[in-house]
Amino acid sequence: MSNSTVDVPLQGGFSFDLCRRNDMLSKKGVNPPSYRKTGTTIVGLIFQDGVILGADTRATEGPIVCDKNCEKIHYMAPNIYCCGAGTAADTEAVTDMVSSQLQLHRYHTGRESRVVTALTLLKKHLFNYQGYVQAALVLGGVDCTGPHLHTIYPHGSTDTLPFATMGSGSLAAMAMFESKYKEGLTKDEGISLVVEAICSGIFNDLGSGSNVDVCVITKGHKEYLRNHLLPNPRTYISSKGYSFPKKTEVLLTKITPLKEKVEIIEAGEAMEE
Amino acid sequence: MEIQRADKCVMASSGFQADVKALQKQLAARHLIYQHQHNKQVSCPAMAQLLSNTLYYKRFFPYYSFNVLGGLDNEGKGCVYTYDAVGSYERVGYSSQGSGSTLIMPFLDNQLKSPSPLLLPAQDAVTPLSESEAVDLVKTCFASATERDIYTGDKLEIVVLNKEGLHREYMELRKD
Amino acid sequence: MDLNMNDLNQPHSMGTTIIGVTYNGGVVLGADSRTSTGMYVANRASDKITQLTDNVYICRSGSAADSQIVSDYVRYFLHQHTIQLGQPATVKVAANLVRLLSYNNKNMLQTGIIVGGWDKYEGGKIYGVPLGGTIIEQPFAIGGSGSSYLYGFFDQAWREGMTREEAEQLVVKAVSLAIARDGASGGVVRTVTINSEGMTRKFYPGDKLPLWHEELEPHNSLLDILNNPGPEPMNI
Repeated sequence: MSNSTVDVPLQGGFSFDLCRRNDMLSKKGVNPPSYRKTGTTIVGLIFQDGVILGADTRATEGPIVCDKNCEKIHYMAPNIYCCGAGTAADTEAVTDMVSSQLQLHRYHTGRESRVVTALTLLKKHLFNYQGYVQAALVLGGVDCTGPHLHTIYPHGSTDTLPFATMGSGSLAAMAMFESKYKEGLTKDEGISLVVEAICSGIFNDLGSGSNVDVCVITKGHKEYLRNHLLPNPRTYISSKGYSFPKKTEVLLTKITPLKEKVEIIEAGEAMEE
Repeated sequence: MEIQRADKCVMASSGFQADVKALQKQLAARHLIYQHQHNKQVSCPAMAQLLSNTLYYKRFFPYYSFNVLGGLDNEGKGCVYTYDAVGSYERVGYSSQGSGSTLIMPFLDNQLKSPSPLLLPAQDAVTPLSESEAVDLVKTCFASATERDIYTGDKLEIVVLNKEGLHREYMELRKD
Repeated sequence: MDLNMNDLNQPHSMGTTIIGVTYNGGVVLGADSRTSTGMYVANRASDKITQLTDNVYICRSGSAADSQIVSDYVRYFLHQHTIQLGQPATVKVAANLVRLLSYNNKNMLQTGIIVGGWDKYEGGKIYGVPLGGTIIEQPFAIGGSGSSYLYGFFDQAWREGMTREEAEQLVVKAVSLAIARDGASGGVVRTVTINSEGMTRKFYPGDKLPLWHEELEPHNSLLDILNNPGPEPMNI
């Protein structure tokens, strides 16, 4: 251990410093803080010339919506994107980490990243943490071996599918895919099916809501359609507006001037030993 | 949320739907008996007490329901009663209940600046508002609560009670 | 309400039916295709028969994450081994590597695996590596939650020295029987046949499987009928 007074992580990884303290607190009945969860609908499908990913934009903390327009489609590589559901901090951290590993790998090899590389890196990390890193992901991209779509569960298992859904709205979204998906969809058909699946999550699942984000990845090209659809505008704005009291009432005003602190340094002798 | 009425008295409830239905059915039956026995509508303060008694009757296995009762009192003034699940109740100037109440209540406190109930002498808790101002405030409350509370949404039903009678208004809310 | 996350947060596991059978000249591996998280079918077309080398495959059951990591490691070790040896690894070596990982990490892993393949020394071989990490060489092996419905059937139906067709038919019949009775198994039947010639994959869709006691004919979804622009959809 270094003897520096500041607690700086040396090699990366998580700090377990507060493990015993928090265990003591929870035994005394102090509840752990709630995390920002993306009670989410995320989906992906393969169409005739690539992959389409979709996500809603609601982030919740218990019953409260804490972000009405968050981004759940994360960048992994220029040709690979990844939708995240679960604890927001975990999906953010794990995708950032892997995308930087992919960038380094590209510098090293001078080649385009492959989707399976991202998949292996993600599953390796998630398996290591035995499900405690709560990230459920839909990974999609196009590489030299064609379009790929995978789902990754928090415990580190992976699936390879032509269409996939994740998050609390996954059942509602999967219902749309199971009834309407077919092979060889065109881009427009694909986007509208993805939008339909996300909307079914938004309207039927309480944890999902607000807007639809879409990302279309084809060979050598991608389109990130942020807020592709805004199906939930505010329903009522008062014509008059509201006034709020500016501040707490002032009862007393007294200003105490600061005294200048003069420090005298004696030159010469103090520096010697 | 669920709105039910007697002539000068309406109740809005949230919570477990089956309990809310059972509670409202019970109150409707008691109201009918009252009408047959006394040949008049029950007054709002009386209904308020009745609701409290009905809830407290199930003190140890309570109805999972959170209610606000509103209407006109014996002097014809507007009154609002707010409840907990086991029948504690209070006459107030305004109130909200349910999952969105934590979001609505501070806004109402801010806008309606009700005097503290601890003040002596006691001050009237009713903040004067015109009907249109009040309806506007209710709509804003719900539109805002729907933005942030996942359990609030779809549609809003507003019941306005005054000496001319009663009318309903509906407004669409976010559907996600 | 817990937003259905109770179910979806459970580990991703394969309530499974997996089978390996030897015949005169090779082995047949078979599996269903259902992967579930709690009560939700997370994947209805998964592939539980995983390639380790050209001549060795495994059937995975139990936790999906655990069985995938085990097979990834064993595949990696076998590739190294093949390069060092200059010739294909034997089934016994592959099975022993699976056993080594399963046994050494028995407290961490929830997975039962059947290893099957063909090599020039011993011909077709099946090894079962169940939960604790023991290794059992068997003429046939069954595993997963669906296997409890199959012990009696295999005692009756398995014979020494079957032909390839007989073995394949036995495997498909057994998996479809287990699918019929086991709620955690379902979907399609996948088989892999390995012999001196190499390997062949076969795929039997769920609606083409034999029907057993009290099973219903496959029906199209009502949605298909309604979506069809037929003249009078309600008359069907």
